[in-house]
Amino acid sequence: MEHTYTKYYYPYISPLDPCKPIIKKSYSTPPNLYLGFQPPNLPQYNTAKEALYKGTLWPALYDNYKKYSLRGDES
Amino acid sequence: MSHTKTMPPEYYELLEQIQAIDFVLVELNLYLDTHPKDYDAIQQYNHFTYESKKLKKEFEKKFGPLMHFGRSYSSYPWNWDDTPWPWQV
Repeated sequence: MEHTYTKYYYPYISPLDPCKPIIKKSYSTPPNLYLGFQPPNLPQYNTAKEALYKGTLWPALYDNYKKYSLRGDES
Repeated sequence: MSHTKTMPPEYYELLEQIQAIDFVLVELNLYLDTHPKDYDAIQQYNHFTYESKKLKKEFEKKFGPLMHFGRSYSSYPWNWDDTPWPWQV
């Protein structure tokens, strides 16, 4: 099953809630949540610059970490 | 006539290379904290440490000290005295 960086849940919306309801909320699920203890010799990015731009040395741990407005929350 | 001093592109190129190498060192360092017996990672760490020192030496030869308080040498006269300061880079 392909890894998803963001997952969603649907908060309960009370009829008594005076505020604008949040229908769909997102939360970040980076790969390290599912990795447990990192195995040795994971493949690495080829260059230091690429690792810097990706934010990690190992592609297995990459997380695009979209900014809030792009995460698909609905209110 | 522009009064502001500008640094050559190579200044930023070298700095980015140093930044990239040092980032890899941060990653390897954190990894080694939990995997102290990973020989290959230690070899890679030492290789990148050597590269980092080499790049910084090259940078300092061209653009003066990267750091102060004894973390970089000074030429004569004292050259920790001019822009761009680290926060202005």
